[in-house]
Amino acid sequence: MKNLGTVRRAAALVLSAALVTLAAACGSGNSGGSSSAVAASGSSNSITVDVAYPAPPAALLDQFTKQTGIKVNWVNIGWDDLQTKITAAMTANTYFADVADVDWSKVGEYQKTGWFYPLNKYFNVASLSADMPQLNTFRSNNELMGVPFDSSFLVTTVNTKDFAKAGITTMPTTLAGFTTALQKVGKANGIASPLDIQFATAEGLSTCWYQMTAAFGGQVLTAQDAPAFTSPSSPGYQAMSWMVDAYKSGLVPKGNINTTDYQGFTTEQAKNRTAAALCDYSGSVASIYNVPSSSSVVNQTEYIPTPGASAVGLNVANPDGIGIPKTAKNVAAAVKFINWFTSTQNQAIWAGLNGPKDVVSTFPLPARLSSFNLMAKAGNIEQAAQLEAILKAHAQAPFPNGAPSWYVQFSAAVQTNIHEAAAGQETIPQAVSAIAAEVSQLAA
Amino acid sequence: MSAGHRGRMLPYILLSPLVVFIGALSFVPTADTTVEAFFRVNPLDPPSKFVGFGNFRALFADSVITTSWVNTAAYVVIGVVLSVLFGTAIAVALKRRFRWRGVILALVILPWALPAVVEAVIWNWIYDPTFGVANSALHSAHLIGGYHVWLGLDRWLTIALIEIVQVWQITPLSALVILAALQSVPLDLYEAARVDGAGPVQSFWRISLPMIRPALAVCTVEALVLSLNIFDQVYILNGIAPLGSSVMLQTYVTAFENLNFGGGYALSLLMTLATALLSVAALALLYRRPEAV
Repeated sequence: MKNLGTVRRAAALVLSAALVTLAAACGSGNSGGSSSAVAASGSSNSITVDVAYPAPPAALLDQFTKQTGIKVNWVNIGWDDLQTKITAAMTANTYFADVADVDWSKVGEYQKTGWFYPLNKYFNVASLSADMPQLNTFRSNNELMGVPFDSSFLVTTVNTKDFAKAGITTMPTTLAGFTTALQKVGKANGIASPLDIQFATAEGLSTCWYQMTAAFGGQVLTAQDAPAFTSPSSPGYQAMSWMVDAYKSGLVPKGNINTTDYQGFTTEQAKNRTAAALCDYSGSVASIYNVPSSSSVVNQTEYIPTPGASAVGLNVANPDGIGIPKTAKNVAAAVKFINWFTSTQNQAIWAGLNGPKDVVSTFPLPARLSSFNLMAKAGNIEQAAQLEAILKAHAQAPFPNGAPSWYVQFSAAVQTNIHEAAAGQETIPQAVSAIAAEVSQLAA
Repeated sequence: MSAGHRGRMLPYILLSPLVVFIGALSFVPTADTTVEAFFRVNPLDPPSKFVGFGNFRALFADSVITTSWVNTAAYVVIGVVLSVLFGTAIAVALKRRFRWRGVILALVILPWALPAVVEAVIWNWIYDPTFGVANSALHSAHLIGGYHVWLGLDRWLTIALIEIVQVWQITPLSALVILAALQSVPLDLYEAARVDGAGPVQSFWRISLPMIRPALAVCTVEALVLSLNIFDQVYILNGIAPLGSSVMLQTYVTAFENLNFGGGYALSLLMTLATALLSVAALALLYRRPEAV
């Protein structure tokens, strides 16, 4: 009996520990999701900015404070952690920031949950659209949920030295031609698998599929958010087949089954283990490949027009944006800050107009065409004409009606099934059916 | 109030801040979670609504979730068996005094002192198919013909390799607990056994093992709870792929990615019950006070 008593006491302790674990796992979640603001705007002369980005130089932030009297508390937090923070704070209806990251993939979610203010009444959408080609990525049901603060889009990069060694100086414009060229490049340079495509179950795999679908001339969802990829002749189906074939045939390194996008750029492409990337970031040439301390391909890598099914293909826009959470305490100051941060002059400065001293680390390209022009005139942007042409004519939003509110689950199904198809755990038709079934369930 | 009465009240007064603290931070949210598990709680589909066992039925109908339960069972078996075995072996080796013992003890503790995220990142590099140490070491030793992709292709290999990272982290604590237990065994017992003709192996089985049984029970429960709740290692080494997904990872995905908080509450509740039941079972099976052996 003595032993049994001890066991009971120990069991009670274990139960307590387990309950603590439970509490830690779920916290005191609020069932609400109410969107009422906690405090009125203008109650303080400072704002908190929560983004997955390094702060601009302190001197420039000080200038903003001098001009407006608004002090900026900049919180740079990892992207994944920030998404969890936003979800937790908004579910609990508590203040966490006055300005926060609005990822393009979250636009539908924020519009439906009402977690962020629609910005239509604070900004002139028509006027912004003319200068910000990617503004539509942040519109859902005609509500502007965020303002883009860079113009990231997916691009094709090639190592021109490797291509030249294989005798290729005119870049192919079709995917068939690109495949043949890569095989030659691989042989000429002793690179077994010359193409970098990421296949880890991460967001990069989903966006790469959208990019490849754009290259084949389409989008993965219709304007009604229905699957547009179930027919074998559809761009989405063809894109998935092409990607999986590229992996299985050895065009893509086998290790890429667990490689994320950024990992691939820095460890494969920048180290010349591959010679081309199809879903690269605009801005990678300056921020990754031409950085001598971490790259062995300095001045060898260039953006090229993305090869398509029969001619040059389209590019998927995935810019970063900022918006105002419904629990913001100082909405008026937040609007002033967004105007300042996304202004023509400052966008160009973050990207290098004034040289390296004022650059925001990892900033890809300005969101505004007018900023682009400033930089092109100053001659301090890599391949300005090439990128501007893509931005104006080829960059398109991933989805016709903005990212749906159920985007996260959709993306999880996409990355999981393409990963499994590449790993040989299911076929392309099975992967397509599984993703389509998920869309039907989510959209119901 | 008499001095005797004050004396009797003192323990309760001293304990009350702790009781309030635990109550506020643990039991209240737990009770809230238990109730919410029976509601549909989804900001994308408001308002909240009572659904009975609907969340639980949906969880069991989801193949990704059921796969994650099987995976978690595998993590637990590997984690408990290996950490207790290695912990015992290390403790036995360190029980004897020898030169540099202190340094080796410090090195053994090191993995336990590192955050799980850091360890997972380190092992991610070790397993890297292109330039990881695992491939180069095995290739140099002629144990593999070419470089392998270790993670993400084979389910059980992926699970085993992920759990090895956790075993690497939790074994030091097991080793320390068992070492402390071994050092508290009266030397007279070994001396008497030696006089009776028992060798080192017999002494270990007949004296050490029964005497350290409470420590083994503690280590087993510790490994059980940690393996059941494995998250960081899975997230970093396997992402959200169902292939190696754990229940805790699915809890996070369900609640914070999919915004299905009701499902997340239900999964948390199931995990709590599983943790409690398995821990009690392990203790009932293993825990014996030395004098009762």
